[in-house]
Amino acid sequence: MKAWASRRFGGRFWALALKELRQIRGDRRLAMSLVVPPILQILLFGFALDSHVRDLRLGVVDESRTLQSRDLVSAITENQTFRLTGSYHTAEELGAALAAGRLDVGLVVPYDYARERARHRPVTVQVLLNAANANTAQIAQGYIEGAVAWLNQHPRGGLPAGARPSADAGADGQSVTAPVQPRARVEIRPTFLYNPGLVNTWFIVTGIFGTLIILNGSLVSGATMIREKERGTVEQLLMTPASALEVITAKILPLFVLLMGMVGLVLTVARVVFHVPFRGSLLLMLVACACCVLTGIGIGTFLSTFARSANQTQLIGFFVNPPLAMLSGALTPIEAMPRWIQPVTLLNPIAYFASVARAVLVKGAGLDVVYLQLLALAALAFGLVGVSAWRFRRQHS
Amino acid sequence: MRRIIAQARKDLTQLLRDRLALALAVVLPVVLTALLGTTISLTVTDIPLVVQDLDQTPLSRRYIDAYRSSLTFRIVALPIASSPETAIARGRARGALILPEHFEREIRRGRAAQAQLLVDGTDTNTALLVQGAAGQITRAFVQQLPGDAPAPSVRTATRLWFNPGREPRKFYGPGMLVLSLSIFPTVLAALAMSREGEQKTILQVYVSSISAHEYLLGKILAGMVIGMVQCLLVLGLMFTLFGLRLEGDPTPLIVGSVLFLFCVVSFGTWVGGAIPNQAAAVQGVSLGGFLLAFLLSGLIFPIENIPRSLAWISSLVQARYYIVLVRDAFLQGGGWPAVWWAVLMIGVIGVAYYVLAWLAMRRMQVKA
Repeated sequence: MKAWASRRFGGRFWALALKELRQIRGDRRLAMSLVVPPILQILLFGFALDSHVRDLRLGVVDESRTLQSRDLVSAITENQTFRLTGSYHTAEELGAALAAGRLDVGLVVPYDYARERARHRPVTVQVLLNAANANTAQIAQGYIEGAVAWLNQHPRGGLPAGARPSADAGADGQSVTAPVQPRARVEIRPTFLYNPGLVNTWFIVTGIFGTLIILNGSLVSGATMIREKERGTVEQLLMTPASALEVITAKILPLFVLLMGMVGLVLTVARVVFHVPFRGSLLLMLVACACCVLTGIGIGTFLSTFARSANQTQLIGFFVNPPLAMLSGALTPIEAMPRWIQPVTLLNPIAYFASVARAVLVKGAGLDVVYLQLLALAALAFGLVGVSAWRFRRQHS
Repeated sequence: MRRIIAQARKDLTQLLRDRLALALAVVLPVVLTALLGTTISLTVTDIPLVVQDLDQTPLSRRYIDAYRSSLTFRIVALPIASSPETAIARGRARGALILPEHFEREIRRGRAAQAQLLVDGTDTNTALLVQGAAGQITRAFVQQLPGDAPAPSVRTATRLWFNPGREPRKFYGPGMLVLSLSIFPTVLAALAMSREGEQKTILQVYVSSISAHEYLLGKILAGMVIGMVQCLLVLGLMFTLFGLRLEGDPTPLIVGSVLFLFCVVSFGTWVGGAIPNQAAAVQGVSLGGFLLAFLLSGLIFPIENIPRSLAWISSLVQARYYIVLVRDAFLQGGGWPAVWWAVLMIGVIGVAYYVLAWLAMRRMQVKA
């Protein structure tokens, strides 16, 4: 085995690798492009992308103008989800504001709201939601219904008893004489595991991480591969006794080392700036990163065997990268995609990496949980590198 | 004017001869919009949920059935001798519902029965959806409990405007139109301009009688023609695949689209002029065009969530305004009163990019 290895990857291999390393060292722009864009991107993505639904603009038509109706409004605006931005006189005005995009949610309280509540008759308030964004609408609806349900269970509203003027006791009479009836309820107690504060950045950063590795890995490796082709020096490489596999491996090794350096930087930013918890084994995470880096290099090398010039590689990248990034579950859950497209994500390295990163970093999972994804990632990496070595030899023979 | 048209014709001919660029111009916008517009969604249905029923009574089973029959959840079997936590840790389920012993008895006695819901918090948005849906199911369940408390005194009648079916594609489809139109016309314009710098054909322009403005306008006109074709193709997709219709007055969309194309093509020309190297220019555009349009325009996540320190950048991103315009035209139909400011801003940014492109061109001339 050792003899085979030294025959195969002897001094020749190291000479080639050294040549690549020197070439990269001479290329200031390449080194810069490995450090600046990834850091900038992870900072931008981490800070700017936030799916949290909050500060929705709420407009109210309060036809009742009573303490009870104001209780309702304050119950709804109690948390950060809604922000009261305007009162309107008629539902038409409210509708116009909604259509003009000045409001996200409208609430119409009927004129008999307080009276009906005092008589313990059901009363209906109207909620108008701008449902253009389906996700926001669903979460907003959940919040409003939750707030109203809470109000129903606590008929006195959120205010402590003393805060209410005594004159009001008459209107609310029933609940004063007969304090809350023991009635059947089911309370649902949600507990958020792994991320109890629901910090959205943890989700975004762990998702974007893989996208960064793949994008930058494929860009950089594509650029170095195509350079030999553009300058015609690839003929000289093939004329040496080194085999195509040796040439490719020698090219990949220095890139791999550099990209792992980038991975270290990004991990540091994730930890220091975004406080992503590192609950699992760091070694496992690094193994996953290594597989992902190899896959990125594989993609870049593979694409460069099709292209004739540097800008062609870049353009082909446009065909590959956006779908790869968007269909990965890095930013939007895979389960939310239509059924027919979900199998496609089985070929997507970013999807595997994102689930490994989330499992290891946030959930603290071990190898027994993520081994399948890790295997898939490794298979993709070696498959891509193998195919590009094969294509590399073929296109020049 | 004749020179402008001649310059535009030259650029268009050049594009038609380049097969890769042509595919980039015509096929890719349509494919990308169709693919991403239909697949992107934050609203998960069929969330896998494991159930641990420690009560095993008719009532507890009815409560679980309420989850089973909802569209949001899918009950998956909990393997024997494993805890709900491990099912979540292994990613088999996004949540776990645990019903304690005496669940039924507590309800019958009129006390609050407590059900526990463990939610995987890694995906925060889905976690919130799970919480909301579980609350809704529970409230509906309580209301139909036999012979129990009066109906709640406050009810909500929710009306969903503009997208009553809550279809994500009606929201993301127009967004992807904007994304496509911010990437491809820009890239093509940047390529066309940087190619002239890279291959030094720009020198021929300097010695000809064409003025800088005529040259730039010719280039931009060519880019806009291609952009128009892309825009029409993708708009066709909106009407067919995404099932959208124009609501109200279409003129803001028409004016805004023309201005937006002018804006992105000028941006591409500027980048191409400033970086006379095709590969680097494309990289610059993908950073400026794609990343900013993607991140800071409210494409997927609400723009209000961008922290204040970054929000000012977002107000310089043309895609942010175009997205408002397109969504208004297809969903809200507010017309000019609602979107005049967005059209205006696109125009202003477009003129700014044109001036920058002109300055870059002058600088190129000084260097050459």
